[in-house]
Amino acid sequence: MFKFFSGFRKEALILLRDISGLILVFLMPMVMVIILALVQEFGWNTLTSEPQVQVLFVDLDHDSLGVQIENGFNSSRIFKVIKSVDNVNLTQEKARQLVFEGKYQIAVIIPENVTKRIRNKIQLLVAKTMSALTMPSLDLFKDIFNKDTIEVTLYFDPAVRNSFKNAFISSLKEKNARIESKMVFNTFNNELKRQFPQFRPPDVEYSESVNFNEVYPSGKEHEIIPTSTQHNVPSWAIFAMFFIVIPLTSSIIKEREEGSLIRLLTMPVSYLNLFLAKIGVYLIVCFIQFILMVLVGIYLLPLFGIPAFDPGNQYILLSVMAITSSLAALGYGIMVGTIAKTHQQAAAFGSVSVVILAALGGLWVPTYLMPPIMKHVATFSPLNWAHAGFLDVFLRGSDFMAVSHELVKLFIFFLCTIAIAIVYRKFKPPIGS
Amino acid sequence: MSDRPIIEIRDLTKFYKGSDEPAIKSISLDIYPNEIFGLLGPNGAGKTTTISILCGLFPPTKGEVTIDGMDIRSSIDRIKHIIGVVPQDLALYPTLSALENLTFFGNMYGMRGILLKDRIHDCLKIFGLEKVAHKQINSYSGGMKRRVNLIAGLLHKPKLLFLDEPTVGIDVQSRIFILDYLNEINKLGTTIIYTSHYMEEAENLCTRVAIVDRGNIIALGKPAELLIKHPEFTNLENIFLHLTGKTLRD
Ligand SMILES: Nc1ncnc2c1ncn2[C@@H]1O[C@H](COP(=O)(O)OP(=O)(O)O)[C@@H](O)[C@H]1O
Ligand SMILES: [Mg+2]
Repeated sequence: MFKFFSGFRKEALILLRDISGLILVFLMPMVMVIILALVQEFGWNTLTSEPQVQVLFVDLDHDSLGVQIENGFNSSRIFKVIKSVDNVNLTQEKARQLVFEGKYQIAVIIPENVTKRIRNKIQLLVAKTMSALTMPSLDLFKDIFNKDTIEVTLYFDPAVRNSFKNAFISSLKEKNARIESKMVFNTFNNELKRQFPQFRPPDVEYSESVNFNEVYPSGKEHEIIPTSTQHNVPSWAIFAMFFIVIPLTSSIIKEREEGSLIRLLTMPVSYLNLFLAKIGVYLIVCFIQFILMVLVGIYLLPLFGIPAFDPGNQYILLSVMAITSSLAALGYGIMVGTIAKTHQQAAAFGSVSVVILAALGGLWVPTYLMPPIMKHVATFSPLNWAHAGFLDVFLRGSDFMAVSHELVKLFIFFLCTIAIAIVYRKFKPPIGS
Repeated sequence: MSDRPIIEIRDLTKFYKGSDEPAIKSISLDIYPNEIFGLLGPNGAGKTTTISILCGLFPPTKGEVTIDGMDIRSSIDRIKHIIGVVPQDLALYPTLSALENLTFFGNMYGMRGILLKDRIHDCLKIFGLEKVAHKQINSYSGGMKRRVNLIAGLLHKPKLLFLDEPTVGIDVQSRIFILDYLNEINKLGTTIIYTSHYMEEAENLCTRVAIVDRGNIIALGKPAELLIKHPEFTNLENIFLHLTGKTLRD
């Protein structure tokens, strides 16, 4: 046992004397978190009044549809409608050109008479419906919607992301559907009034009858609102904890290259003992890393106008999760550091594999958005287990039982990686093979 | 020398992966308690390979070794308690001080407390390093580093001490000092196995020497005996050159 403490002391001293390395270990993930948070938060949900995406808008219609879509853009804080560039009113050709050149990302062209055509179509529909009331035998609806296809043209810069494009199109569709249904409603009212003069249309504006009420089931008394911060802080914390692989592998390889390991191998001390001393010290680093990330979420992000992180109140469970996840990260680092031949190999493999495991684990893109095969692969990433566990605690307020599955998996992963490292060294001593 | 050998080497062979020539070829050798045994040879002769196997760093491809009656393959954990090793290359933590390095390595041998502290203090004093004991190894000269490297291997007063070229690359004063010290602890009962390619130093220090070349022992005996055997030469160096040839080694 005292060999462990002596090793612990040695590792701690070495780590503390490498001030620049230590600063890097703590600072890098912190800077990364803040930058990622800013990019994510302001790339999409604009909290400021500053409009973000400029939309070229050519309205050749000058009627309801054009006006309402324009109003819709203006009232959403995401878009800013641009109708003239350099004091010249936009034409369809000009808008196309500007998007083609990549100067703007989106152009919307509302064609001439589009409202009128929609209105006609609806009037036709209403008229035929009404006459069907009196002459039900006639096949009046045939082809009614195919005779006149109405098109609104959208130009997209190819650099626009698909997800953004789809969101944009579906919001336009929604806007259009709302306008059309309003028109149908009004036209019916008018037609009914014309045919039955005693008919009194209800004195209401048409509005949606379904409201979507957001509820987030949680085990806690105090409800947690799943802001982006709530999703992101656990991801970053896990990512930062797994980046311990870099300094840890470097420490293992340095010890080997500086020859101290060779000396230690001639001494009555086991690999397990040497590894455990390293794990002890780096576990503390990992835990501090985790706390720092959470503190950044609570105190630093709000300074940038990002919602604050709510860590809940299950501190013991959180600590157990953090320690077990750290152990998995450290085991992985010990294994990579033992098997890698050079610093370069360890650094390259270590960082790339952590990024891959993070991506697979659903730290960047939630696993529920992944195709089935990837979902299956994701379940093999220890970062996924850690992530699932933290989400349980942070978003669902789960208890020990709910995360025990993840805890056990992470701990078994830790045991396996250490076992692999020790067995590998048994069969392949650091020198002489 | 009528005792039982402290080291028995039988038919020891080591092939490194990827080379078709063995680094050592069927070496057999007995070393007795209280000897200062010199393993002499040019670069690449197989000295480090032999020492590494003897102290359990890796297993031989073939052959048997027993140390103090214990088999190297099955009892290496017990053997490690009675041996001390001074590796050819520096094996210290550069950002720790001499004191911190030695405390850690002493702990690994199971030494602790005031006993260890006194022992380290004594050694540092003997080797003239007290003043720099708290400075990081980084700031040491080559000779000072070598001295700390040496102390780390003998802190625990091992029964059997292996030294791999302990006098390479240091000034004459340090070298003479180290050799005197080895002589002294040998008198106090430490068996020493040491490698070198300085024949003169071996001639003065060693009770017996083995000259190895290309993995073979080509001469074995007391320095005086070797000189008698080759009356045409006046010193070990000439015998060595005669036996190993003058071609350059890598
Ligand atoms: N790790 C290794 N892999 C392959 N060959 C090696 C290795 N270490 C040493 N050798 C080779 O084994 C031979 C003996 O080396 P070594 O024991 O270091 O010699 P010495 O210590 O006498 O200079 C040399 O030919 C050397 O090139
Ligand atoms: Mg050598």
